[in-house]
Amino acid sequence: MEQPLLEINDLRVTFHTDDGTVHAVNGVSYSIDKGEVLGVVGESGCGKSVHALSIMRLIPIPPGKIEGGEVLFYGKDLLKLSLDDLRHVRGGQIAMVFQDPMTSLNPAYTVGYQIIEALTLHKRLDQNQARERSAELLSLVGIPEAKRRLDDYPHQFSGGMRQRAMIAMALSCEPSLLIADEPTTALDVTIQAQIVDLVKRLQSNYGMAVMWITHDLGVVAELAHKINVMYAGYIVERGHARDIFKRTRHPYTLGLLGSLPRLDEAPGTRLLSIPGLPPDLVDLPKGCPFVARCNYITDICLESMPPLESAGDNDHLVACWHWSAIAEGVAK
Amino acid sequence: MSAESDVLVKVQNLTKYFPIHKGILTQRHVGDVKAVDDVSFEIFRGETLGLVGETGCGKTTVGRTILRLYEPTSGHVFFEGSDLMSLNESGMRSFRKRMQMIFQDPYASLNPRMTVGSIIAAPLDVHGVPDGKGKNERIEELLDLVGLNPEFVNRYPHEFSGGQRQRIGIARALAVNPDLIICDEPISSLDVSIQAQVVNLLEDLQQQLGLTYLFIAHDLSMVRHISDRMAVMYLGKIMELADRNEIYLRPLHPYTQALMSAVPVPDPDVVENRHRVILEGDLPSPSNPPVGCNFNTRCPFVKDICLQEEPQYVELQPGHWVACHFADQNL
Repeated sequence: MEQPLLEINDLRVTFHTDDGTVHAVNGVSYSIDKGEVLGVVGESGCGKSVHALSIMRLIPIPPGKIEGGEVLFYGKDLLKLSLDDLRHVRGGQIAMVFQDPMTSLNPAYTVGYQIIEALTLHKRLDQNQARERSAELLSLVGIPEAKRRLDDYPHQFSGGMRQRAMIAMALSCEPSLLIADEPTTALDVTIQAQIVDLVKRLQSNYGMAVMWITHDLGVVAELAHKINVMYAGYIVERGHARDIFKRTRHPYTLGLLGSLPRLDEAPGTRLLSIPGLPPDLVDLPKGCPFVARCNYITDICLESMPPLESAGDNDHLVACWHWSAIAEGVAK
Repeated sequence: MSAESDVLVKVQNLTKYFPIHKGILTQRHVGDVKAVDDVSFEIFRGETLGLVGETGCGKTTVGRTILRLYEPTSGHVFFEGSDLMSLNESGMRSFRKRMQMIFQDPYASLNPRMTVGSIIAAPLDVHGVPDGKGKNERIEELLDLVGLNPEFVNRYPHEFSGGQRQRIGIARALAVNPDLIICDEPISSLDVSIQAQVVNLLEDLQQQLGLTYLFIAHDLSMVRHISDRMAVMYLGKIMELADRNEIYLRPLHPYTQALMSAVPVPDPDVVENRHRVILEGDLPSPSNPPVGCNFNTRCPFVKDICLQEEPQYVELQPGHWVACHFADQNL
């Protein structure tokens, strides 16, 4: 079998605060293959962004601390790399696009300057080459009159254009992995559709792998090959996109799907909300973190955290003691 | 349902321009942001009218102008037949009791220095509803109604999660027994699982109390879920208004069609089989809307007439309103 592009083993991240230790990521393991699109789904505070930032060691230390685990990128552990070597990976081989394009672009420099900077740094192009390449990239992501637009400042771009510029910047060094952290959450649906379409196209043209982090299961259905569902710092379900939607095995995933209204739903349909709130990450329950909100709870759930184990075939993994009961329910 | 007596709110040619001024000493009026431009619709008693559109389309301004939180530039709003725009301040106050609002950001819309009890009591005090013991009972009753523990009256907003804060905002709106509640993006700042809780609560309250909602949001599938009828806004104008099923099955306006097809559907089967219309470009600026049809810069079917003449907003079929030159060809 070919070596995966990125392999994460038992990653643990905590934040030390005045209120206690926040257990943000609690032993996350998975891998991404070359050219694969992975959707990472979960609600605020489930650890989806923190785990992605930790891959490139971008979390603030302190208060954050990577307690343990490995992040193997082409077999090299990024957590052990020297800062100099890490610099070549950041932005060069792994690029990142953040949620809010206004705060991730520097308002004091032109958009062109910021793309050129990445190119001269990682690709060692001279100014003219870099400028030419930047214009190509901007038109690739669908910005009209790209050459002239290079000299615009971020505030002269609309929200959708800024996110396109961020994507152009991320693509500038032809990364083998693009981490997109809620890239369309701040955008309107028609613009979101444009960005999703763009990333899909670029992904298939360049064969890069994409990690798309979002709370929106709908967006993930549009583009992901595989999906990790996260809850309270754990991966609670992982599998091929179709299996997550059609052969759901975890009660939390089931609840998330039930909470979403469907455009094609029948009148009078009631949403299946998940009762209660996510647990406090400072004071996680002893057993499964979902116990307080789960309909399938029994004694064992209160006692110990279920392992992430195979739910039958097809690389489908689930962390629930009762997944087979749920499987029967879904089949009905 | 369209009998005149069933109309709770009638909005007629409502227009709100925000002036743009230039100059420091002499304020020259150099233009207007046309936030709401000649909008007309009715809200029937007991229904939920959904108002959907993208950022900056004027949907929030419509809600606020109905309550006269903004003074309209022109147009009328009739509440049970009385023209709100002709009322003076004290006349308006007696109507405000009957129209309340729930705001988008449950962090910004609750005063952090007030206890939950005093937040909910504020509208009771302003409108002079029961004093003393009756008031405390009413507050506890309201907390119970929105699914919060009545013992929380003396807590402060920061002790609650986002969803719970939104419940406090709902309790405050319900305090004075309103007929109409304008919900301005009440769930967009909440997590998915919490959104469903709040939407279910709003639906239950409507059933119990016979409320009428104007539900403003950008999330098309959520608006369709909660609404009886829905209106689609674009750049200050209503493009299409119809029954929730009618507009989903037979959208007549190209913008509605594009908006529907842009909504992500959490189902790989649907994703594979559907035809997507991806709109090009961005929303034009409302201070300089295009000549002719507002949508002509992004419309995939644009023709010459669209660049010159603004389409009329007409009732093409009973209860189905649309503003497009070619809507009848989609029938």
